[in-house]
Amino acid sequence: MCEDKELLVGYLYDDLGDGDRARFEAHLRGCEACRLELKAMRGVRADLAAWAPPVPDFGFRVVRGGRDAAERDAIRPVIAAPVSWRAWWTPAAGLAAAAVLVLAAAASLAHVEVHRGPDGITVRTGWPTSPAAATANAGATRPNIDGAMVPAAAGAPSVAQRGQVDPEFIAAIARRLDALEAAASHDSSVRNASTMSARAADAEIIKRVRELLAQSESRQQGELALRIAQVIRDVDAQRMADLTRIQQRLGRIDATVTAEAASRSDLTNFILTSARQK
Amino acid sequence: MASTDEELVARSRTGDLDSFNQLVLRWERPIYALAYRTIGREEDARDVCQETFLRAFRALGGFKGEAKFSSWLYRITLNLCRDWIRRERRQPVAQAPEGVDLVELAGESSPSESIEDLVARKEISAAVARVMAELPEEQRTAILLKEYHGLTFQEIADMQDCPLSTVKTRLYQGLTVLRRQLERSGVSGGFKNHV
Repeated sequence: MCEDKELLVGYLYDDLGDGDRARFEAHLRGCEACRLELKAMRGVRADLAAWAPPVPDFGFRVVRGGRDAAERDAIRPVIAAPVSWRAWWTPAAGLAAAAVLVLAAAASLAHVEVHRGPDGITVRTGWPTSPAAATANAGATRPNIDGAMVPAAAGAPSVAQRGQVDPEFIAAIARRLDALEAAASHDSSVRNASTMSARAADAEIIKRVRELLAQSESRQQGELALRIAQVIRDVDAQRMADLTRIQQRLGRIDATVTAEAASRSDLTNFILTSARQK
Repeated sequence: MASTDEELVARSRTGDLDSFNQLVLRWERPIYALAYRTIGREEDARDVCQETFLRAFRALGGFKGEAKFSSWLYRITLNLCRDWIRRERRQPVAQAPEGVDLVELAGESSPSESIEDLVARKEISAAVARVMAELPEEQRTAILLKEYHGLTFQEIADMQDCPLSTVKTRLYQGLTVLRRQLERSGVSGGFKNHV
């Protein structure tokens, strides 16, 4: 049975039937050579277990070659971003999302408008004071007969357009104006105050939005700086701990080596002394 | 509940790349490990690993399911490794560092493993890699498939196209050479633990 190495290998890998196993175990009890060989083979298996391959950054995936490529031959491998980097960037992504939310809120308050035209990208903030005011910004306007602002092209034709001055018309206008001034003397003061108040409110909103944006930016910079400082501190602490641990281990090894050297020296002295005595 | 290899293969055969990529995720480490231990170079092993999966995907139509999917992958990997060795016209490389960097090692040690044990393990690992690279290909492959991938004797016999008894003989011969060489190099740590 000592020559039956297949049986030994089957036993070594625990791949024998009950009958063969019992037979081989009975043989082992009486054969020291096979027992030693089996132990040696188990030792080799333990050594083999120490051989570990490196662990590379996987991320290999199979994708189609292009948008229209439906053929199997068009597949190709791609390497995805390493997981560790994704994990590292997670806090930054969270901060970015928070920043976008703050900016969006600020933009909605400030009524930010972004236009892309031939002159590039234009950013405009602020709310229009009234439809009439917005129209006034867009082009030439004139008051209509009721005192409201209208585009110059709309409503009754202007004096210049008519080509002549009608004294009756002017007199009617003057009367109408006097009446309106008298009737609206109180209203005009209120209206002026209202317009001034609206402009002041716009300026206040814009100022407030700018403050919010500045605060948000400042807060993000502060948080980022804190986070970076924390990471640097952690890495340094870990490095120091590792170095200390290595130093301790080296110290222990050094002590062991010194003790062994001393022991050997003592042994040598003892042998020399014994030899001399003899 | 995770799908079995067979289910994922069936879906992959209809062109479902997601299913195939699940198989890639499941098997990339063992395939890489087999390639690395066979040819001994990290970058080349990674290339072999990728090529294995590409070939497998392209050949899925011809996979009949008579063998396990993993065995089929192993066979492709070993064929690619054989091509690599033939192309490079050289023996597998025993990629082991000359010296041992303690600082680097410190990062690899587990909490329960001392630096001394770690150094010893690295030395044994390097010695095993060296001796394995010198073994005949059939013996090396039999040991790799049995020790690290847990294939049965019969699966290895099917893969190597040889009788089952031949597989056991190859294993015995390979392990005997390893034992002798490791004892000679003086780094064997397993033997003393098992006496």
